[in-house]
Order: sequence, then structure tokens, then C-alpha cells
Amino acid sequence: MNPENANAPLARSWRDIPQPVKPRAMSAGGRWRRVRRGVRLAALAALAIGLGWGVWFGVGALSAAPKHLPAVAQTVPVRHLDLKTPAGGVLDGAWLARTLALPRDATLLELDLERLRDRLLAEGQVASASLARQFPDRLIVRLTERVPVARVRVEFSGQPRDLLVAPDGFVFQGAGFDPAMLASLPWLSGLALIPEGAGFRPIPGMGRVAQLFADAQFSAQHLYQTWMSVSLARLAIDRQLEVTTKQGTTILFNATGDFFVQLATLDYLLEQVANTSAVRARIDLTVGRNVPVMLELPPPAGAAGDPPATAPAPSPSHPLFTLPARPAINPT
Amino acid sequence: MSSQTTFIGAVEIGTSKITVLVGEYTGRELAIIGRGECSSRGVIKGTVVDYKAASECTHSALEQAERDAGERIEVVFLGQTGGHLEGFYNEANVNVKASDNMIEPGDVRTVCDLAKGKELPVGRMVVHHIRRPFRVDGRLVPGNPEHLVGQSLAVGYWTVHGQEQRLADTIHVIRGFNLEVRELVLASLASGHMVTTAEERQHGVLVIDLGAGTTDFALYRDGAAHTTGVVSVGGVHLTNDLSIGLRLTEGQAEKLKLRFGRAAVQTKDRAHKVWLDGNFAIGDRQFSQQTIEQITAARTLELLAVVKKKLGTAFTPETCSAGVVLTGGTAKLPGITGVAAKVFGVPAHLGEAPTWVSENLRDPGYHTALGLLYYGVSAQAEKLAPARRGSGFIDGVKRLFVYS
Repeated sequence: MNPENANAPLARSWRDIPQPVKPRAMSAGGRWRRVRRGVRLAALAALAIGLGWGVWFGVGALSAAPKHLPAVAQTVPVRHLDLKTPAGGVLDGAWLARTLALPRDATLLELDLERLRDRLLAEGQVASASLARQFPDRLIVRLTERVPVARVRVEFSGQPRDLLVAPDGFVFQGAGFDPAMLASLPWLSGLALIPEGAGFRPIPGMGRVAQLFADAQFSAQHLYQTWMSVSLARLAIDRQLEVTTKQGTTILFNATGDFFVQLATLDYLLEQVANTSAVRARIDLTVGRNVPVMLELPPPAGAAGDPPATAPAPSPSHPLFTLPARPAINPT
Repeated sequence: MSSQTTFIGAVEIGTSKITVLVGEYTGRELAIIGRGECSSRGVIKGTVVDYKAASECTHSALEQAERDAGERIEVVFLGQTGGHLEGFYNEANVNVKASDNMIEPGDVRTVCDLAKGKELPVGRMVVHHIRRPFRVDGRLVPGNPEHLVGQSLAVGYWTVHGQEQRLADTIHVIRGFNLEVRELVLASLASGHMVTTAEERQHGVLVIDLGAGTTDFALYRDGAAHTTGVVSVGGVHLTNDLSIGLRLTEGQAEKLKLRFGRAAVQTKDRAHKVWLDGNFAIGDRQFSQQTIEQITAARTLELLAVVKKKLGTAFTPETCSAGVVLTGGTAKLPGITGVAAKVFGVPAHLGEAPTWVSENLRDPGYHTALGLLYYGVSAQAEKLAPARRGSGFIDGVKRLFVYS
């Protein structure tokens, strides 16, 4: 036998005829079968992906769940409440225990975490909350708190009551804050609080107010410290915020404008006003660079018993102060 | 429905009609669950000559079969015929390698590869390699020769090959319906397996499938196909002869052939006339029945003689003791068994489907399609259902070869 013949290639078979056919060479029936097959394959692929996702999800859920709960976990009551808040949080463990009001001898498995979470969120000071069981006896609570930027006084059953306002307009009672810090917050006025549930609907436009306060604290702390109240009465209509200082000076801010520019203007004007003998002023920063300022002069020395005289109010078209022109910018 | 179930379509693209049978194969059993038929167009002498027309007919039959079965065909076993199919015998002989002269699997593999390794002319492709029994030192071994002892091992293959383009045309007709051709089966082998028994094949039998455009034949010896062939003459030629001889249209000639045609002249009276239509209307004509019989008999005799000539020395009455079995539509011609017996010198009879085939599939026109399923599943059993292949497979096939 010749070894070369042993490896002789076999003759070509009909199986070597390529069978793939282009769709345009198919009949309508063949194309329909092709479409059906494609749809079937797509459905199978979708099913496989769905099953895969289900398995993955199931495995993830099972691995996240405790595999073997110690028997003691089902009998030991909750002994530790761990409160974790970001830096600057003022709520403490006592507040947490008081708010959650867990039943005595309640075990971790008996706790309805959803309901406890709702109870925490019902306190307006809590912006978000998450609770986790740590067996055998520890409940971990993570909170983020709202920080007040203003105060508002409301009347409950004929009794005045002070509430706090967060930058998002949320009105809450507040707990654990430094009283000195709270006393430094300006009051809000000229608004109507709308009851909603056990509290109030968030105040609209509070974001711009908070921005004004933040800008003032950042760039003109000495001015901010003199602010006593902010009126939102003209915010919705004229986009104006009316700040009243402790000295009685009224300042109108353009809520849509740049607060840094307006604060700089105000600082300059107040320096000018300080050089006058006016006891209080009304400064309108909403009309641009020509700032109308109305001064209230002290009563003349000889007319002490007369009713207080008000300086003749100049027409807004005749401003008392005009800002100095901006220095020209040399392109070179 | 089992997940192992495969729906197989057996497709025979013939010159006169296209037949599709749908089989439900479960790995152990095969049941015929659907049937589709369509008059053939675009096919001449078993070869596709008009792709579009042939596709339309075939796809129509496939759709009909799928509707009948209520299931989608997954793979196709395709019958193959046509004058382009030819065969040759090639034998190889190797010396047994082992020192103790025990035949090993490597020896068998080598001798088989050598016997099948004969190159074909350009443009030709193998359709079947039909193995004949092994010989060990000249001694016939019907089964596997492994572990037998001998100096030399020989085997021969009857290789059936066809023209690549013709084979591709037929396959592409099926692919146009977006179906895969899993097995290509010679029509004569398919019908041969249906109308003969294993015992007949062991003793030697000649199966002649007389179709409309072609006549396929397969000679079995020692339990396996020994020689196959195709003659591009069939029932259509009888019709054509009548059409020319009696100056008739093809439709009229076909009608006369079916009503009065015979494979041997039986009518003695030349004056005996028969009517073309029998309704005595204008155009109805009379013909001598003896003339009709003479024409059909001459062509039938010639056809069978051509088959015998093509068989050559492979056929001898001594090696074909089970005789000649005739099948196919043209085999319904009266008297043809007698002519076949006279030509071949052995008894001849009409092929019949096994008794377990249902009544509405017993017509000779279904033998090839049935055989495609039967033969194809046997050849493909391992690929179709490897997990369920069992020893009772053939019995299962026979039991459930019932079309309801």
C-alpha cells in the first residue's frame, strides 16, 4: 500500500454545496419562515436574558440576606440604636429613641423598618433616613438633616409658635439646634403658609431667599447680621425680596439678579447713608445702577414734641445717589 | 410534544408531481402526520430546468404538507434522480497491519478511505457511497471485519455521483423555503427500501422505479445495494410516442395511455376500435386498440431492455433470485410484470408497501417519499436523536408508519 494513498482526500460530496440563501432568492413562504425564525430566536434570547437577570437578581438577594439567622436574634430585644448623621448633624440618640419609640423587648425581626422610617421622615428636620438591622440586637439609623436658614412665626390655637425654614422651603419645628444660632436667623414675613398633613406645604421661592442669605453671609457678614426679617410678599409678583434691618432700614433686592452685585452696591450705599444724619432709609436695588434711596431724617431739635417729620420723599426718578462709573477697561 | 421531536419533510421533486410527506420523529418512532402534493412544473426528466416554476410548486406542496401536519418542517430529506446521476465501483485492498494478522479499526478505516478516495471528474459530486461487504483473504464478511484474522482486507464502494450544478439547483429549491436539506437520497434507494424486504435484498433483487420522466433502478445483492442507475426515459415518453404516432395532443395521449395502454400487445383484432373521449362529441375519434398497445408495448420493452443493458454483467438471473420488483406510476401499466419477467429472465411483480403503511399511502406514487423518510431516518438516526437511539428503532418505525 502506498502511504500517500492512505491519506488521499475524499471526493467532494453534495454536502459541500453551500446552503445559505439570500432572502431575495426565497419565496414568500421562505421569507415568512425566516421572519418567524428570527422572531423566535429574539424571543428566546429575551427569555434567556430575562432568566439570566432573574437568576442574578435572586442570587444577589439571597447573598444579601442573612443565610443563617442566629436563633438568639429572634429572642434578643433591641439594645443598641446607632445614629449616623453627616458632619454638622444636631440630632442625637435621645431624640432618635424618643422619635422611634420602640416597644420594650421588641426584637429586630419584629420591627417594621418601613413604618419606622416613615416616622422619622414625619419629623421635617429629617431629609432622608435609612434603617438597617445588625443582628443580634443593633438597629443602625442613617439620617441626613435639614439646616434652617430662616424662621417663621405661626399661630397654633391662638398661641404663637416659631418654626424653622429649610432652603428647600420645608417648614419644620427643629430640635437640637443652638439657640444662639436660631436667634441669628432672619424672620420670614409676607407669606401665607398652607397646611398640608400635619405640617405645611413647602414655601415656594425659598431657594432664592436661601441663596441671598448664603451670599450675604459669605460676602457681607456685617450686613447680614443686621437683617431682621425678609418679606416674600412681592416675590411672586415683582420678583423682589424686601429685607428689613434691625435699624429699620428697608432694602429691596431683585430676586432674579446677581446678589453679589446687589450686596456690593448696598454696602457702598450704606456707607454713604452713614455719612448723613438719616435715621433710617429705604434702598431699592431692583432698578439697576440708579438706586433710589429714601432717607428719613431725624426731627428738628426744636420740634421735639411735634410728630416725626419725614424727609421729603424724592421721586424715584430723582435718585439721591448714583453709583460711580465703572473704570474703563484698558484692552492692553 | 417531546423536546426530542423532529419534524422531517420527505420531498420528492418528480417530473409529473411533487410529493411531500411530514414525519414526526421522536428518536425511537416515526409517524407520518402530513402530506402535500402538487403537479410539477419546471422539472424535466427529474432535473430542475425552471427554478421559479419548480420552486413555486415545491413550496406549495411544502405549505400544504405543513398545514396538513399542523407543524413546521425542520429538516428535509430530498429525493434525487435525473439522468446526470452515474455510478462506478471502486475497490481497495490493504494488508493487515498487525503482526498477529488481527484486523484493527485502523485497517478498516484505511481500506474504506482508499476505496472512497477515487477522484471524480471536475464538476461532479458524490451523492452516495454504498459499501459492499468486506472480504478477508477473499472470504465474504457480511458484518464488521474488526478482530477477524487475515492477511488482507478488501472492500468496494458503489459511488453514485451527480453533476454539481444540477444537485445545487434541487437543493436551492428547498433552501428557497428556508429549509435545510439534511439528507440527499437516491430515489431508487428510497423506493427500493420500501418495496423489498431484507430477505429479498439478501438473496438479490432488482428494483425498477418507473417514473414519469426517469426510470431509476437499484440492484441489491448480499443485503446491500450493489448497483444503481437512472435511465432518462419514463411514462412521459410513452405518452409522447402515442402523441406522435396517433397525432394527438399530449393530454389526449395521456388519457389514451391510462385507459388503453398496455406493456404487451393483448388485443388480437386489429379492427377493434376505442374512442378517444367516448362521448361521441365533435372531435371524438376512434383508434385501433391494438395500435395503442403496440406503441406502448414497444416503448416499455425498449425501456426495460435499456435498464438491463445498463446493468450489464452486474445482473444475472442467478444472482437475482428474488426477481424484479416494479414500482412507480408507470408500473401501473397492465402487463408490465410479464414483460419485465421476459426481459430479465426472472420472476417480476409489482412492489407493494409494507402492510403497516396506511391505505391512503399505499399507492406506488408514494413509495419514494415513504422510502425517503425510512431510509433518511435510518441514515440520520444518530444525528437526529442520539440520546434515544435504541435497538428497536426499525420496529418502531414500522409500527408507527401509519398516516391518519
